[in-house]
Amino acid sequence: MSGDQPDGPRPTPESVQPGPLEPWPETVRWQSISTDLIWVELLRLAAVVAVISIALGITWAVTGAWPIGVALAAVLLFAVWRAVTIVRAVRAWGYAEREDDLLVRHGLLVRRLSIVPYSRMQFVDVSAGPLERAFDLATVQLHTAAAASDARVPGLRPAEASRLRDRLTALGEDRAEGL
Amino acid sequence: MLHSARSLVVVIAGLSWSTLSRVGFGWFVSMVIVIVLGATVLSVISWYNTGYQVVGRELRIHEGLLWRRTRAIPLERLQAVEVVRPLLAQLTGLAELRLEVVGGGKTEAPLAFLSVAEAAALRHRLLALAGRPAAATPTTAAPGAATPDTEGHPGQVAQPGQVAPPAEPPAGRQLHLVRNKDLLVSQLLTPQALLLPFGVAFVAVQFLSEDSWSFIAVASTLTAMAGILLQPVRRVLDDWQFRLARDDDRLRIHNGLLETRVQTVPLHRVQTVGVTWPLLWRFKGWLRLRLEVAGYAAGEPDQRNRPDRLLPVGDLPTGEAIVAEVLPGVVLSALPLSPPPSRARWLNPLSRQVLGAGLTEQVFAVRSGLLTRQLTVVPYARLQSIRVVRGPLQRLLRLATVHVDTAGGAGAAAVDRDVTEAWALAAELSARGHAARRPG
Repeated sequence: MSGDQPDGPRPTPESVQPGPLEPWPETVRWQSISTDLIWVELLRLAAVVAVISIALGITWAVTGAWPIGVALAAVLLFAVWRAVTIVRAVRAWGYAEREDDLLVRHGLLVRRLSIVPYSRMQFVDVSAGPLERAFDLATVQLHTAAAASDARVPGLRPAEASRLRDRLTALGEDRAEGL
Repeated sequence: MLHSARSLVVVIAGLSWSTLSRVGFGWFVSMVIVIVLGATVLSVISWYNTGYQVVGRELRIHEGLLWRRTRAIPLERLQAVEVVRPLLAQLTGLAELRLEVVGGGKTEAPLAFLSVAEAAALRHRLLALAGRPAAATPTTAAPGAATPDTEGHPGQVAQPGQVAPPAEPPAGRQLHLVRNKDLLVSQLLTPQALLLPFGVAFVAVQFLSEDSWSFIAVASTLTAMAGILLQPVRRVLDDWQFRLARDDDRLRIHNGLLETRVQTVPLHRVQTVGVTWPLLWRFKGWLRLRLEVAGYAAGEPDQRNRPDRLLPVGDLPTGEAIVAEVLPGVVLSALPLSPPPSRARWLNPLSRQVLGAGLTEQVFAVRSGLLTRQLTVVPYARLQSIRVVRGPLQRLLRLATVHVDTAGGAGAAAVDRDVTEAWALAAELSARGHAARRPG
């Protein structure tokens, strides 16, 4: 169920993405991230929704005011909608290692594609929160000297994350000066 | 160091003005004396414990008595060097040396205060070291205040180019000198200065008609107006006698009336060049040039303090000449900018004609802004990453925005390009960026 093997006949992001076929970014071999990230994100969402809805539920039970019931319904509706987008957003997330640069794309509503040359790398972060660790996942983030560049790849298997990290640092060493 | 303490004392004395009436004169004087003595002793101690040393290709700065700190700065990473002389330091012939390195939260390692000759000599040497490849560079040491001279090589110090005369002549080729008259006129043409008479008139009319002269209202209005006027006045003071010179492959920028700055930027450290045409300057045909160097942007939030001016005011030919000097081969008035497709008018109804982006041999140029027109020029060799962003409306209209991130400043964004063109642009930019990086 995880997308660790890149060329498996899985539903690739192309099937998720409506609209016209873009010229070159579609010819790149995108690696999708592990679908376990869906569970991580869903659990995060569930925790937040649970807290809010319990609070609302108690208030509703005590006061019996109908607007709170409406609010509760809205929260639950939002949660369902968010769950659907989480599934699609995780499927839409992808990265590709090209010869000279790393491509990362993500986002559903606002689609973003980042192109970060390896030689511009300043440092690489590998992080994993408790939930991510429970699902055996890690996040790799590439930092450049520009604050605006975002090259974050979540939902990687630890082995893949360390492979990516090592590859990035090895390729980044070509040129010491990152400016 | 003594002088920072001295200005501190002035502040303290000013603040304690109100206490004067309360505690009586004798007490006040003794209080001030105690404070002055304390501050002087402290600053003398800290001065004795501050020193710098050039070791190989590294500058080491020691400071602190109780909390000792030694900071080592590899000189390859030096972005820009500034020699700043506040008013007090000018009177006493001292200068402060500021070094810019990337990643520092604020301007790193201000070496305050050195004598002018020493500051100039040190700057020269640091820049020489920073520019030179890592080949045989002899170790030299410059004793700062009290650092023992551990690794001195007298032969190195005695090189002819390294002892700069104290008068500090504008070395290198003079590029441009901004006339003070133009500077004054340009700052009078800012919204603040133009609107001030109306503000004054409005307040005066109100007071005359209302007949209620409350002191606090008058005072607060005056304070607000002074605050508004502060920015143009500061600009004038900061950019007074703005001189731009080129020295080998470095830019040297002199400016300031009360506080003079001499900023030295190696040309290959220029991240972006921005051109601004403010609305009110347009009938004069004036523009302003901005220079982004990595290191300044992060720490100093107030725009004023950022020494990023390349030309405070000038006409197009001047701007063109300077841009051609900073980014060789770039002709400011002949950049091949193309507007976004006509369907972008749904998103930018007024400014579509103004928007533009284009590629030349060396740079990526982007234009935007309806009233205050801005042009940002990024050399390919300086681009850090490229992003293509498509919002929901943009996807509906088959448009995309291409962002180019640089290490200093905000980078550049080609807004609302056609999707196909945006992808091609991103591919082209990354290819050219790669090609530009490779030989150097």
